[in-house]
Amino acid sequence: MITYVLRRVLVAIPMLLGAMSIVFFAMRVLPGDPCVAMMGDQATTEALADCTRNLGLNRPLALQYADYVWRSVRFDFGNSFRQGYPVNEYIARMFPHTLVLVLASAVVAALVGVPIGIVSALKRRNPLVDYPLRIFALLGLSMPVFWLGILLLIVFSLRLDLFPLIGGGDLDGVLAMIRSGEAFTQPRDFLAAVGDVLHHLVLPALALGFTLAATVSRLSRSAMLEVISQDYIRTARAKGQRERAIVYKHALRNMMVPLLTIIGLFVAIALTGTVLTETVFTRPGLGKMLVDSINARDYPLAQGAITVFTMIIIMVNLVVDMLYAVVDPRITYR
Amino acid sequence: MAIARDAAAPELTAVGAAEAPRHRSLRRALRRYGPIGIGLVMALAMVIMAAAAPWLAPLSPSAQFADAVLKGPGAQDRHVLGTDEFGRDVFSRIIWGARVSLQVGLASVVFGFALGVPLGILAGVQGRRTETVIMRSADMFMAFPTLLLALIIVTALGGTLLNEILAIGVALTPNFIRLSRSLALTIREQDYILAARALGSGQIRVMAHHVFPNALYALVVVGTLYIATAIRTEAGLSFLGLGIPPPTPSWGNILSEGRQYIKCCPWITTFSGLAIMLAVLAFNLVGDSLRDLLDPRLKGE
Repeated sequence: MITYVLRRVLVAIPMLLGAMSIVFFAMRVLPGDPCVAMMGDQATTEALADCTRNLGLNRPLALQYADYVWRSVRFDFGNSFRQGYPVNEYIARMFPHTLVLVLASAVVAALVGVPIGIVSALKRRNPLVDYPLRIFALLGLSMPVFWLGILLLIVFSLRLDLFPLIGGGDLDGVLAMIRSGEAFTQPRDFLAAVGDVLHHLVLPALALGFTLAATVSRLSRSAMLEVISQDYIRTARAKGQRERAIVYKHALRNMMVPLLTIIGLFVAIALTGTVLTETVFTRPGLGKMLVDSINARDYPLAQGAITVFTMIIIMVNLVVDMLYAVVDPRITYR
Repeated sequence: MAIARDAAAPELTAVGAAEAPRHRSLRRALRRYGPIGIGLVMALAMVIMAAAAPWLAPLSPSAQFADAVLKGPGAQDRHVLGTDEFGRDVFSRIIWGARVSLQVGLASVVFGFALGVPLGILAGVQGRRTETVIMRSADMFMAFPTLLLALIIVTALGGTLLNEILAIGVALTPNFIRLSRSLALTIREQDYILAARALGSGQIRVMAHHVFPNALYALVVVGTLYIATAIRTEAGLSFLGLGIPPPTPSWGNILSEGRQYIKCCPWITTFSGLAIMLAVLAFNLVGDSLRDLLDPRLKGE
């Protein structure tokens, strides 16, 4: 098991390094000059040269690259070109917002997607059940999350005025209250702050969750179909066990293995989704930070954001691979 | 699968009536070919829309009507879907916008196919070092979700039609590499490959004349699904302001521009988004149904 883990980690390292190189060199071919972007084209040549030197952009590319990799390894992404303060701090501040969004939409996606997938697999011969579910899955799969988000905003924020139009609530405040212990001394304030965060979270989570639910329902449908065609299900049927018991006792449990793979895929899709979702709902988070930093030509910030995104995806896949082996004893650690 | 068939068997034997078969075959045909028919019609409509935009669009996509700025659907009896903040006709802009989506959708998949399939087949047939190098590089790119990778590339190169095609094409390539490799792995074990080699075919001939044609079916099915992905990705890039810059209409940038006006004028975003969804839906339907029709494992359904 230990060697297996080590091997997987060793494979992940060059992958991460490669992904980081792609990011670095892509950012360096950018047509725009960050200094011009920051100071405007009215800036004097000296001021621009100064800026270039301060940001270290005049050094040889190879040196900049080596520096970038070495710092990234130590989780140091430099300072934001525009704001000045460390990218780390930025990421640390944005990460909880994105995490909350991904978790909330995962809950929505699982609650909607898994039952739909299972039912559509079991009732696939009943067109009255199968067709609507398949149409739902296709619609969800085809609906761009940013469009769904706008529709939700139009109906629930603008027309019905039930939810806020922008922002993510004071999540920083909530976290600070937990850290300082205020959450327990002033539970009323704390709950109000949490409620506000949740209030801001409803629409984005619904939008992202619904589009993800389609993918989840398809994957769990095929996982269920796969399981239900196994010999042990036939055995259970032959024993005369009731259908309900077959589904709950045999099929559902064995479905967990294929479902695990979904989680890896799911995180990748959900993270991409946050880029669009956070932009639509003008919510703070890693995704919005990425888009904003790209538009501002803020290399360190963009690099940091993309590096963190890639790290998360690679790491989740690593963990899933390991869980795989834990859940299914038939898989050997090689 | 065997279980599923058994479960269906009694039902089949029960229907023994003489006149049933005709009805049943019609219904079955509708069930089998209905979805793909709808998908094809929708996709065809989109192709016609893109190709015949100058004749189909009632008004010029760039003409600004000063008397109809931000007017709702049906305004002045000539703006079917309303106008935007410059008084441009949303309906005409959406028709012209089909061009961008379709061009990017098709061309980027062709690009990914042309780049990925030879590499994948090479990896699958050749094995060893070649395979390791190709697959590890593909894995590296796979670490990025499609939109993220396309976003990085398009930012680096700038938002033009060609760059979008390139960016999404490159982002799709690893998927084609993986799929064609796994197909090649099974195909290379077939007897006809052995026969071809025995007859003196070289490696390239085996890959081009034997492996590739046999992998084509599956590749085309998945390719159709990737057209849907490409269209959605393009719309996402344009929505983020990284795609083709306005005034050229694309569904994503119409929607993005209309975002500021959702309070007064929701029609701009509603209809452009609907266009995106229907286009993606069309190709998803075609790809999905093709897979169901061609995949022998699912034939019993």
